Amino acid sequence: MFPRKLTNLIVAALLYCIVFTSLCPLASAQKKTAPVEATPPPVNETFKFGEVDLEVLEQSELLDTKLERDGLVLADEAANAYVRRVGQALIPQGLKLERVTWRFRIVRDPQPNAFALPNGSIYVTTGLLTLIDNESQLAAIIAHELTHVMRRHTYVQNRSNRKKFLTMNVMAAVGAYAPGGIVGAVITVVTTVAPFIMMATIYGYSRDLEREADLKGIDMMISAEYAPEEMVNVMKLLDTDIEGENIRLFYNDHPSLDERIKYLSSYLGGRADKVTQQMELNRERAAYFQKIEPVMRHDVQLAINGGRARSAVYFAQRLVDFHADSENLYWLAESYRALGPRTQKLTEKELTNSAMKDAQKKRVKRTAEEEERDLLATPAGQDNWQKHQQSAAEFYQRALNAENPVPVAHRGLGMLHEKLGRGTEAVAEYEKYLELSPTATDRERIQRRIEALKEKLK
Amino acid sequence: MKMPAIMFALVVLLTASGSHRVQAQFLHPKVTAKETTIRTVVVLPAKVNVVRDSMKGPEGMAAESDELSARVATMVSEVLSKQKHVATLPSTKPSDDADQQKYNVADFQTKFDALLPKIMKKRSDVKQGRFTMGDEVLNLNLDKGADAVVFIRGEGKKLTGGKTAFRMMVGGTPAYLRLMIGIVDARNGAVLLYTDPEFTGDPTTAVDRLRNALEKGFKKLPQINPQ
Repeated sequence: MFPRKLTNLIVAALLYCIVFTSLCPLASAQKKTAPVEATPPPVNETFKFGEVDLEVLEQSELLDTKLERDGLVLADEAANAYVRRVGQALIPQGLKLERVTWRFRIVRDPQPNAFALPNGSIYVTTGLLTLIDNESQLAAIIAHELTHVMRRHTYVQNRSNRKKFLTMNVMAAVGAYAPGGIVGAVITVVTTVAPFIMMATIYGYSRDLEREADLKGIDMMISAEYAPEEMVNVMKLLDTDIEGENIRLFYNDHPSLDERIKYLSSYLGGRADKVTQQMELNRERAAYFQKIEPVMRHDVQLAINGGRARSAVYFAQRLVDFHADSENLYWLAESYRALGPRTQKLTEKELTNSAMKDAQKKRVKRTAEEEERDLLATPAGQDNWQKHQQSAAEFYQRALNAENPVPVAHRGLGMLHEKLGRGTEAVAEYEKYLELSPTATDRERIQRRIEALKEKLK
Repeated sequence: MKMPAIMFALVVLLTASGSHRVQAQFLHPKVTAKETTIRTVVVLPAKVNVVRDSMKGPEGMAAESDELSARVATMVSEVLSKQKHVATLPSTKPSDDADQQKYNVADFQTKFDALLPKIMKKRSDVKQGRFTMGDEVLNLNLDKGADAVVFIRGEGKKLTGGKTAFRMMVGGTPAYLRLMIGIVDARNGAVLLYTDPEFTGDPTTAVDRLRNALEKGFKKLPQINPQ
């Protein structure tokens, strides 16, 4: 039997070899960047399903069911059909992929995002549909996601992640068994520090795969007569940070915006010169807004519920600018009421990294009510609050004066009066709302508010 | 011979710190003072996620997570009924607008998810009555007799054979299940109770350990007199 110290040394040496032989191809692969003009075929024909891939596929199917069951999929048949039509138009004709059934769905989430499951389910959030300006931009997003499915990126990435995790575990073992000296120290440091670096490549697709999806997406857009430069425009839109969260999930781990615009512009070259009439039509903002208007309203509501009042005001204003009907005016009023003492736009100072980090810390600590209370304790907060309550009142009134007024505007006005301590006016508005909407789902809530207010007024 | 001893101590320490957490329950002052009594609850669908931790990284267990979520929800009802005589009512009344009803439940679940990190940050503040979900709880269209709504969240990990052996060698987190349960007033949205029972062991198969953890988790909730 070897002495214990010698055994440790042998184990460490063996594991060290495993680590470095598995890291070397990884490092060289990271350095490779494909030339801009060379894009692979649309489908990964060499891909063969293995046991691990079938497990991922099964999880994807279950995820589909879960999203549907949990009420996260928008049940708006017309809007889903529209997204489906755009998606189907992008898929190369006659394409059949093993274990892929194309499904296009809208998910109820105010954060701009889109994702593809390897079974062919493409999800676009309400937040993304509300942010973009036209059908071509939607096509750009979907084309990008379609490429992830067609080129089997999820399976490829999953296989790669598994290798990295194995490496990480082995490194941890080497670190733990290291008998001291240079080997142990280096590996221990790598194990302690590297997870950050490794995790960066583990979450989401790798840069190369994202780049591939961008470039293949452009090819698909051109084939389906969508103006390819909208891919660049949508990138810029996705960089919008209204809430100061810096959360850009759609391309969190994607190449940087500048880098992306650079290679996309280079790839576009002469391709963007051929503009057809259909391409122009697909870029019309009004036509897009008309199709997506109910989704945008729904998203404003989700943004309000999710404490994203600045986004709500921004998008509701876009809705009103497009079509100032009673419902859209109501949503703008609701957004202003939700904004309360907050500023409508974040200042440059508030958008700095350190300020955003501070704000994030506070968000985890404070409830929405506490945040409002703290802001109202400041003169600026008071000013904002008065200004926004006034805007809300004005838009509720405009909603009620518009053609076919929505009864919920009475409820909104009631809540506004209640907050301002005008009990009698609040009761009157609540009662008007219940009279006009006898089957409202929030009837009990409003009735209780009326009772409580009447009790106070006695 | 010093090295193995230090290693052993480290492994024990890591294992202990990874598996042991202070379990506690926090009650709203009105519940403690018995001004608010919980006789009936509606248990919303639980969201418990478990992963299989293998040498090649964590793998999702969607089907097992669904199964466990249902089991935890049922067991919470059983424990509340057996231990505290609290009855569980059917989740929501049928509505004319089924989609809206589904959205209301989904949005309220999301609202709890947003509040949960704040509660977990300072759990003891439940005792000050600091947390509320607002009167939007009434939009859930619950049975009129419901006193409270139960939210269940959980996370767990199951280890593969390889990972278990690896853990024995170098330490790490054992298989576990940690639940985060909030009971919210069905009339005004106040958080009446927060508890986070947990246990170590395979979360997908442990039934008795789950029951024991839940029984401990609701220990402080005042028992009502059976009628």
